Amino acid sequence: MNESLLFLILLLPLFCAVINMLFGMRLPRLFAEVMAVTGVAAAFVLTILFWGYAEGEGTRAVLFTWLNSGSVDISFALNFDRLAAPMTLMVTGVATLIHLYAVSYMHKEDDYARFFSLLNLFVFAMLAIILADNMLVLFLGWEGVGLCSYGLIGFWYRKLENAKAGTKAFLVTRVGDVFLGIAMLWLFALTGTLSISEINAQATSISSGALLALSLLLLLGACGKSAQLPLMTWLADAMAGPTPVSALIHAATMVTAGVYLLCRFFPLVSLSAVAMTAITAIGALTAIYAATCAMAQREIKRVLAYSTMSQVGYMFMAVGAGTVAGAMFHLLTHAFFKAVLFMAAGCVIHLAGDENDIFKMGGLARRGPVELFWVFLAGAVCLAGLPLTGGFFSKDGILLALFTHPDPTYKMFWLIGIVTALLTAFYTFRLVYLVFAGEYRGTGQPHSLPLMMRWPLWPLALLGLLGGMFNLPAFVGGGETLHHWYGDLAGRAVTTSHAVEWMLVGLAVAIAALGWFAAHHRYRNYQAPLENGVSRFLLSGWHADALVNFVFVRPFTAMARFCSSGCDRSLFDGTINGLARLATSWGGTLVQMATGRLTTYLSAFAWGFLILLGWFLLKLVNGGGH
Amino acid sequence: MMVPFGHAIAFAGALFVLGLTCVLLRREILMILIGVEIMLNAASLVFVAASAYWQQPDGQVFVILLMAITAAEVAVALAMVVYLWRRKRTLVADEFNGMRG
Repeated sequence: MNESLLFLILLLPLFCAVINMLFGMRLPRLFAEVMAVTGVAAAFVLTILFWGYAEGEGTRAVLFTWLNSGSVDISFALNFDRLAAPMTLMVTGVATLIHLYAVSYMHKEDDYARFFSLLNLFVFAMLAIILADNMLVLFLGWEGVGLCSYGLIGFWYRKLENAKAGTKAFLVTRVGDVFLGIAMLWLFALTGTLSISEINAQATSISSGALLALSLLLLLGACGKSAQLPLMTWLADAMAGPTPVSALIHAATMVTAGVYLLCRFFPLVSLSAVAMTAITAIGALTAIYAATCAMAQREIKRVLAYSTMSQVGYMFMAVGAGTVAGAMFHLLTHAFFKAVLFMAAGCVIHLAGDENDIFKMGGLARRGPVELFWVFLAGAVCLAGLPLTGGFFSKDGILLALFTHPDPTYKMFWLIGIVTALLTAFYTFRLVYLVFAGEYRGTGQPHSLPLMMRWPLWPLALLGLLGGMFNLPAFVGGGETLHHWYGDLAGRAVTTSHAVEWMLVGLAVAIAALGWFAAHHRYRNYQAPLENGVSRFLLSGWHADALVNFVFVRPFTAMARFCSSGCDRSLFDGTINGLARLATSWGGTLVQMATGRLTTYLSAFAWGFLILLGWFLLKLVNGGGH
Repeated sequence: MMVPFGHAIAFAGALFVLGLTCVLLRREILMILIGVEIMLNAASLVFVAASAYWQQPDGQVFVILLMAITAAEVAVALAMVVYLWRRKRTLVADEFNGMRG
């Protein structure tokens, strides 16, 4: 097979997106839906077929030269290597299942063409990020996922708050993109190339100061896309979009793009110890911040959104602790179980009659099909990190990497990770108990759950539960498959004595169990939500929106108002209007001279004649003086 | 007997001022037109006098041209006077102020 065929992985979803965009509404609905699913499924199959190309040094394929000017030579190139291949497989696989789910979820929606073309376009853009060999191609995908995210969050744009949530997500992530853009241009200025592999190869020749700044810029770019601490406010509001969108974009794939970016640039980023500490710190702070917020949320999807932020925080910590394999491992298992949780949450919302508030649910285990409870529970135990689930092993690997890091400050981050794990177990089981246990407290009429909304959950639930198999640590007899697969890309090898590992595992089990028991104790029998200052503080996400409003939005609005009414309207408009008024009044005076009477003009004519005559006389007299 | 050049110029000047005064002070259009004719005649007189003084024919050529133009001008002007009379039944110039700004 020709390696250029790798582009099919990328271009099939794009092709389907374009067809749906142009002709979707004229095609039969079934055709549009089947095409959308097929495009992504074909990309998945192709990824499996091309798997061999990723081994060793990977395969580079150039489709065409994009820009060529002087020394600038930017080609539309793909790099299907060991880092990209598992991520591609995960994205296309999860996206296929979510597309199937979406067909059923959106069956009453009239704008199916817009929905599926944006969803397919998103898959294309996401794959562009993953497979890009070139920062410009990566940036194309980076902006593309932002655009699709914006369009899909505000999919039901007739409700103003949805449109506002979309705009907010777009603007906040754009802040991060600016930093990424700066990093890109700076890297180009330093290395003279935009090829990611070449930049990584030349990373050692960059001065340490520039390296630190570049790493921090990349980190900020990643923060925007991955909803990490300074730029995290958009993710919870992004839940305004349809549930398949939340599952695909805001849980499984797009929000992990930041982690992937840092892993891609790991050879560069890892050269600066300060930057690595910063990445870990951002991850740790976000993890615990989001976990505390999730404890007080009332809407099922917002709980999951905050848990996503928290888990992505773990991935950042993994990158910061130097283990790319650990980060990617958690990224993969998280994608599976979080997609399950979101899709099951969509089913739950259906069952509760479009009710989002978990305090108005309850007893849904008996109300709907019992399998829904089991798949949700499967996702929940992975998230909570109960032993032997995929989430347990991946999270444990990260905590181990933090614990064994030579720098003692990482012990503090490890502690934060442990506390976050406790909170995670608590809020996860709080969610499970409130939604499924007890009596039904709501009033909504359940919608039926079609088969297509139910079976795509199973493969993902199994993948989440058994995800530990991908990278089973050595001390429990596993082969660390993923770590070996990444080889020299895997980052720092985490080695310690088995005793320490068993101790950490024991601690993790104890923490998860403690969280479960706490939730069991508190929510086994339904209790009304607490209404105090702390819960309001956590519900509003530590008032982050108000803070951003106060620090950025309000000064900006004030400045805009000053520019508009102070400068534009008063100064510029005033000056120009004043000049115009002056000209009008002078004109009004002058117009009186145009009497329209012949005599006036004749006398003016005579006066002019006299003046001319006088002038000539004067000249004559002067001339005569010579 | 040659009339001295200075006399001719002085006479033409006096005639011109008389015509101008007529144009400026009279209110009827017809009288203004007559004033204009007098001023034109004064100009013709200067041409003739200058022609005689410098012994050049150009001035006389000009006067003949001027006569033709004056005849045409009077024809057009009188037609307009008739037209204006029909419009307003008056020939007072100040009554026609439709071009006021």
